[in-house]
Amino acid sequence: MWTEFRHTLRRLRGSALGWGIGLALYALMMVSFYPSIVNLKGQFLELVSGYPKAFAAFFGDLTDLFSPSGYLDLYYFGYLTPIIGIFAAGACAGLLAGDEEKGLLDLVLAHPVGRTALFWGRFLGFVAALAGILLLSYLAWAIPSQSVEFGLSWGQLLLPFLPMFAVLFLFGALALLLSLLLPSSRAGGMLSGGLLIANFLLMGLSRLYPDALGPLVRFTPLYYYQGGKAALGLNGVWLGGLLASGLLLLLPAWFLFLRRDIRVGGEHGWHLPALPWRRG
Amino acid sequence: MNGVVSEKEVALERETAIFTRGLVKWYGRIPALRGVDLEVRRGELFGFLGPNGAGKTTTIRCLLDLIRPQAGEVRVLGINPQADPVAVRARVGYLPGELNLEANLRVEQALRYLDELRGRRTDWSFVRELADRLELDLRMPIRNLSKGNKQKVGLVQALMARPELLLLDEPTAGLDPLMQQEVYRLLREAQAGGATIFFSSHILSEVEALAGRVAIIRAGVIVEEAEPGRLAHMAVRRVRVRFKEAVDPTPLTRIQGVSLLYQNNGIEVTLQVEGEMDGLIKALAAFPIGDIETEHRSLEEAFLAYYKEAC
Repeated sequence: MWTEFRHTLRRLRGSALGWGIGLALYALMMVSFYPSIVNLKGQFLELVSGYPKAFAAFFGDLTDLFSPSGYLDLYYFGYLTPIIGIFAAGACAGLLAGDEEKGLLDLVLAHPVGRTALFWGRFLGFVAALAGILLLSYLAWAIPSQSVEFGLSWGQLLLPFLPMFAVLFLFGALALLLSLLLPSSRAGGMLSGGLLIANFLLMGLSRLYPDALGPLVRFTPLYYYQGGKAALGLNGVWLGGLLASGLLLLLPAWFLFLRRDIRVGGEHGWHLPALPWRRG
Repeated sequence: MNGVVSEKEVALERETAIFTRGLVKWYGRIPALRGVDLEVRRGELFGFLGPNGAGKTTTIRCLLDLIRPQAGEVRVLGINPQADPVAVRARVGYLPGELNLEANLRVEQALRYLDELRGRRTDWSFVRELADRLELDLRMPIRNLSKGNKQKVGLVQALMARPELLLLDEPTAGLDPLMQQEVYRLLREAQAGGATIFFSSHILSEVEALAGRVAIIRAGVIVEEAEPGRLAHMAVRRVRVRFKEAVDPTPLTRIQGVSLLYQNNGIEVTLQVEGEMDGLIKALAAFPIGDIETEHRSLEEAFLAYYKEAC
């Protein structure tokens, strides 16, 4: 299992470094802007008051922007989750089905490595890469924030990264499951990423139409995602629920992989049922 | 009584490297294997011959539990690969028919990764010896390798752990004739070292040259298991002869196994030769030859002709 873990980590290291450094630079920029934003509080509130209510509501409580947790939420954890979700979905969809499509899995599985070890070794490799990306981001927030009087300790700054990790873990697991169910890894990654973005939009719309969409979003993962607000107190039940949901998605994926015929040349494809207009 | 049968079974398992009985595999509605029965003894160099799409690769992949048959029994080195695939693969070296390697690795990195999967038990001086003999540069990035060089990487990774059983799917595909001969030598050496070699091919001459025994698969069924000498019946060639002057080719058509397909005013003839070429070559010595071309029929054509005649 550890051979596959190390191998996956090696393969993801380029993209993980790219994402990690990019997000860290963005974090550094946002930390350095914080004192200026606080100084412009009056002007900013005036500007926000002119926004259409619907627009402002979509992004949450804009007046909370001047608290460290609100700032973190609005400028980082609120909307970067679906963006990093693209990495998570793409990487997980490629872990097994992607390699299978490239014909790489055939040779690997002809070696003395069990399917269970391969499955968990690769997924743990993804988890470590994801943790690396978030660690770089965390350091980029935590190190400079001590000198710009951001108002959050090292520990408090770490807390919002935990729900972010949990959400990405969950959608990564979903991508892995879908990649093994759907005809191609790309379809699995796209559907999983699409569901994450749809969930993000639905959360925004639920703030505009709380009566209509409020009950619905309770059944979606992002409802239980605290974002930057976790800096003020982590909801351990929500965090545990997100991680447990991810694990629950991994179990059928693991089962499917154990029973799977490893493809090499497009055999055992996936077909839509014969619909009336498709019958020849 | 049961004890006697059991001892026989144990002895059979000890002597048998590959055993399949009634192997059936469907891809959706397409039957790939329709009851494959195979028995390969330990230490054999066994050829698995068949045209493209006959079921060679599917059979090999069932042996490694990469795919699962819908019915039938499989034993590899006495082990059921579905019950303990890791134990089987620890003792088997495999060359896939469609070899794909991670393009961003160098050859040595790819080999080291595969060696890690085996628990790092490879003798690297042997790897370097194999690479030298196959003229493979271990420092080359995989993405820069030609098809033939990728095939060499595949051969090295299959051989490098000195496995008890080699499952090779078209081992010489993409290699030039000189390199093919080197591969034949490597395989014979592996056999001499005690390994069992099971290789698939769609090239009659290759199987004839290499294998001690041959099974022929067609449309998912083993149609014949034979000594390679018997394949001569299937070795049908077309020989095109251009003469320096017009001749009467009738004497050539009287040679056993030779028939006239085409002639152009006695200047050029196309003959079909079944089996040995010896008689024709000796007969042609009496003619003023300008040029000779020989061409093997495809295996599928040979099969069709062979089984048509058999019916």
